[in-house]
Amino acid sequence: MENNWLRRPRTWVEVFVLFNLGGLAPDIFLAHSVNAFHSRAEYTPLIFSLVAPMLLLPALWALATGRSALWRGLGFLVGGAAVIIGITGLVLHLQSQFFQAWTLASLVYAAPFAAPLAYTGLGSLLLMNRMVSDQKIEWAQWVIFLALGGFAGNFIFSITDHAQNGFFHRTEWIPVISSAIAVGFLVMPLVLKTDRAFLRLCGFVMLAQAAVGALGFIFHALADWHNNGENLFLRIVHGAPIFAPTLFCDLAVLAGIGIWCLSGTRPRAACDTYR
Amino acid sequence: MNFRAVFIAIVIGTGLIVSAYIVNSRRPAIVTQQPTADYVKASGKCAECHRNNQYSIVHEYEMSKHAAKGVTCLDCHQVLTGQTGTNHNGFVINNGITSANCRACHMAVYEQFARSRHAAPSWVAVVGNKDFSPEMIEQMEKLHPGSMKRAAHPLTKLEGESSAKSGCITCHAIGKPNADGSIGNCTLCHTRHTSSVEIARLPSTCGQCHLGPDHSQIEIYTQSKHGIMFAAQQNQLNLKAPSDSLTTKDMFIPTCATCHMSGLNGRGVTHDPSERLSYNLFAEVTAPRPNADRAQAKMKDICLQCHTPPLVDRIYKEGAAVVDATNEKVLAAKSIMDSLKADGLISTNAFSQTIQFTYFDLWHYYGRTAKHAAFMGGADYVQWHGNYPILQHTVELKEQAAQLRKENGK
Repeated sequence: MENNWLRRPRTWVEVFVLFNLGGLAPDIFLAHSVNAFHSRAEYTPLIFSLVAPMLLLPALWALATGRSALWRGLGFLVGGAAVIIGITGLVLHLQSQFFQAWTLASLVYAAPFAAPLAYTGLGSLLLMNRMVSDQKIEWAQWVIFLALGGFAGNFIFSITDHAQNGFFHRTEWIPVISSAIAVGFLVMPLVLKTDRAFLRLCGFVMLAQAAVGALGFIFHALADWHNNGENLFLRIVHGAPIFAPTLFCDLAVLAGIGIWCLSGTRPRAACDTYR
Repeated sequence: MNFRAVFIAIVIGTGLIVSAYIVNSRRPAIVTQQPTADYVKASGKCAECHRNNQYSIVHEYEMSKHAAKGVTCLDCHQVLTGQTGTNHNGFVINNGITSANCRACHMAVYEQFARSRHAAPSWVAVVGNKDFSPEMIEQMEKLHPGSMKRAAHPLTKLEGESSAKSGCITCHAIGKPNADGSIGNCTLCHTRHTSSVEIARLPSTCGQCHLGPDHSQIEIYTQSKHGIMFAAQQNQLNLKAPSDSLTTKDMFIPTCATCHMSGLNGRGVTHDPSERLSYNLFAEVTAPRPNADRAQAKMKDICLQCHTPPLVDRIYKEGAAVVDATNEKVLAAKSIMDSLKADGLISTNAFSQTIQFTYFDLWHYYGRTAKHAAFMGGADYVQWHGNYPILQHTVELKEQAAQLRKENGK
């Protein structure tokens, strides 16, 4: 077993990606149940989400035991596939409606076009984790950058998803505002030399994002509970996307890893170098 | 603390929020000003699936005036009292829309329709009056004497359920009573997702039911000058013109709807196609309708929007003469049948003897055709599809009657 492997940020990212790819399986199952997996291609991300963690588990073992080649190989394989699946999914989602009518309305009612980019983001994390040393400041910046991309996606998601019911409840603006603030704060460590106090503030902003995610989960669950449908499963499938708000919590964790390293609160080289 | 970073972060965040708000505020009222979130979702969510599954209904809806006015799918598919709701992908909808759903917005139109012969009487003509309350029967009987107090048409039993269901009832369902208490379905004329005035004004729309030997209006119209000119100049007409402001500039060639229903040049629009009819031309022996004078005055008023009074008077005079002559011919044949009945030579079972068909065809096909054609400018249908077969059937009827008497020694 490699010394201190559990304390290495790259291990946290590996675990983060592993849980996220696995967690996407039920999310994809619900999302594609809306149209009863109308196209066979809709099974692709579901199968990938089930298979990928099984490949990343041995990769994690390889990382822990110092089998670098195996860790790198499995990571590149899963990461590359995730990037391709994400981009292909983006195009296919847009094809559901947006390519037929290039309007904002069709963008709202197209399949959530940015959703597949979650795979691209996770794949990029895997690739980056193998291409950049977590001893370097660049690694932390990449993590923050990818979390930033996630929050930018959340911003678009929150607008288009809630536009479907016309922001009928004012609370639907909360994630829009929240993700916009997250984007604003996460841009800064990438473009300015921010101090530790600012990064701590970023950490609080991320905590707020996690709270918004938890609140959103409750709101979505309540909406689904009161939704029309023959059973709870159908109410969830055709109601508010139950897992979508948890993306706020998820991205807060990812951004937190980057911020943690960047701020140097951990005795890691990347942070030391920055200081 | 790096306050410059905080300031820029807040500016970026605020910029994004303001942008989102501006984009949302520019969205059409149909997707922002609705009574419930379901109605908002229905403004686009329904089309999201149905565009892929049933493209035509979404496309037809998008071309409709309903779409232009911001009526959503759920507005029409809402579940009203007496209707059954269906869970449908997060919505509770009514997938069996009746005239009650249209009535929710078009009350006056529905009331006009409900007192018309298109309503209850057309259903009763096929299946009898068992589906209507005694009060309803009495009420409609006053408006259309003889139309409600009748049993199911004997042919429905003789020809079988499948024939009646796919045949007679398909057209006569325009007056079918619904579980929600309403009658009929507006989509039979206006079609479902187009909800089109234009389609309802087309002669072919009326012709989907008003055709064939028993009510050959579309054939007669097609042969008439009105029909010929419509075929030639249809593209120049404004079939989409609003009914409350329709003029002869929009419809300088009339279709069925123009004369029988439209509010041409400020004349009141009606969804009771009987309102301007002065004779029961469909009847075995034609008599004036209740309020015949008022009805005729209304129809003549429409005729006068395009024609001079002498021409209109001549058409009515000649039409009345054909009605009288046809009545005479039918009554002569009827007296033969009555005489045979009195002598017990006609079975009490309808449509069980050749002579019963001969007489039925005589008045139900050719008598009706001759009378309708006389008022609709269908010369050939007055003569070769009307009076000639009446004569032929009269001769045949007399021969068959003589044969019956000979066979039975009476």
